[in-house]
Amino acid sequence: MKFLSSKNTQTIVIIVVVAGLLFLALSGYLTPVFNLSLNPLVSFQKWLSVRYLSARDFLTTPSDVVLLREQNAILESQVTQLQTQLIEMEERLGEAQVCFALLDFGRTNPQYDYIAATVIGREISPFLQYIIIDKGTEDGVRYGMPVVTQQGLVGRIDAVIARASRVKLITDSTSVVNIRLQSAAIEAQLIGSLTGDLSLDMIPLDETIEPGDVVLTSGLGGNYPPNIFVGQVLSTQQRENALFQTASVQPIVNFESINAVLVIDNFEAINISPLIPEP
Amino acid sequence: MISHLVCALSLVVFYSLQTAIFSQANLISGTADVVLLFLAAWSLQEQVKNSWLWTIVAGVLISLASAMPFFAPLIAYLGVISISKLLQRRVWRNPILAMFIVTLVGTIFQHGIYIFVLRITGAVFPFSISVDHIILPSLLLNLIFALPVYAVVSDLVGRIYPLEVEA
Repeated sequence: MKFLSSKNTQTIVIIVVVAGLLFLALSGYLTPVFNLSLNPLVSFQKWLSVRYLSARDFLTTPSDVVLLREQNAILESQVTQLQTQLIEMEERLGEAQVCFALLDFGRTNPQYDYIAATVIGREISPFLQYIIIDKGTEDGVRYGMPVVTQQGLVGRIDAVIARASRVKLITDSTSVVNIRLQSAAIEAQLIGSLTGDLSLDMIPLDETIEPGDVVLTSGLGGNYPPNIFVGQVLSTQQRENALFQTASVQPIVNFESINAVLVIDNFEAINISPLIPEP
Repeated sequence: MISHLVCALSLVVFYSLQTAIFSQANLISGTADVVLLFLAAWSLQEQVKNSWLWTIVAGVLISLASAMPFFAPLIAYLGVISISKLLQRRVWRNPILAMFIVTLVGTIFQHGIYIFVLRITGAVFPFSISVDHIILPSLLLNLIFALPVYAVVSDLVGRIYPLEVEA
């Protein structure tokens, strides 16, 4: 009976109760009891966790904003650098395209030697159509040399100094170029205007010209080499009692956006003015 | 001395701007002439005493660079400065109004000189086209740029002349 003392009895009861509870739990009999008791606990835990996370976010967000701002500034600077690089690349690509086009023109017209030049300015007076290029006598440019682009005729050197030249465009109101129409073998004069429009004059009335006819330099007069592309006939005009018919010409060169030109340096313009009888 | 230096530098800047940018920014066929505007604004400043000298310098410079014959730009600029000096004494209370009047009258005078000179040299063009396509658009552009150029020049003059007094 000594074995069944109160202390031993208490231990045995605890072991039996724990074993019974384990048995009941393992066998699934206590699941409803667990659910009933754990659901409020989970709900409370969830509530507490949400509040804790909110509080933590609230307390840690300012430092994140500073970090994000720093990262944003770094990224913005990177974007700016990349944009600058992109612009530089695009500019170089544009220059390269112009150079390639000029090179192509040089290859297709190997009989001429060229001096490549960049357009650095335009005539101040709006009444005149001139451009200023960055090549002068030091580079071999001389008065009267024809100027072209990869597309066609631009004009001729009008004045030259050591490191720059002034080019008179064919669109100038005082410019006259002797041309021929490729399809009809007609020779005429190409005349500029105050507004930069080109027109053909001195076309015989009995000749038929059509819109789209190609206009090339004829070489007459000795100012320009022959067979340089100038433009296409846009429309024709015939006036009653006029001795000649006229035509509008669409130039092949866009004179508003010329960036680079080629000066033909092995063509010598011939001054025929002494041969022309004075009135 | 400082005013001469500043005027020379400003002239170079305005000339470069004119040939590189403003001559390429067309309205129909007209362009602004910021050198003319600079000279007009410079000569309208009360403190400035050297406007004739720099008008001659600018006129010679532009005449050499331009294809316009007979030093027509020099004649035109001298005419504009004459108008400016005339107005400076009469409309002195309102210099901005004077600037606009000088721009208006000066631009017409300048283009009149250009047409006259080109006609003398044998250029053939209809007067109506030159008015519609060049003179009126140029006038409009000059009037648009007159105020900013005047503001820049006034600011420059305001900064350099106290220095001259101190010196």
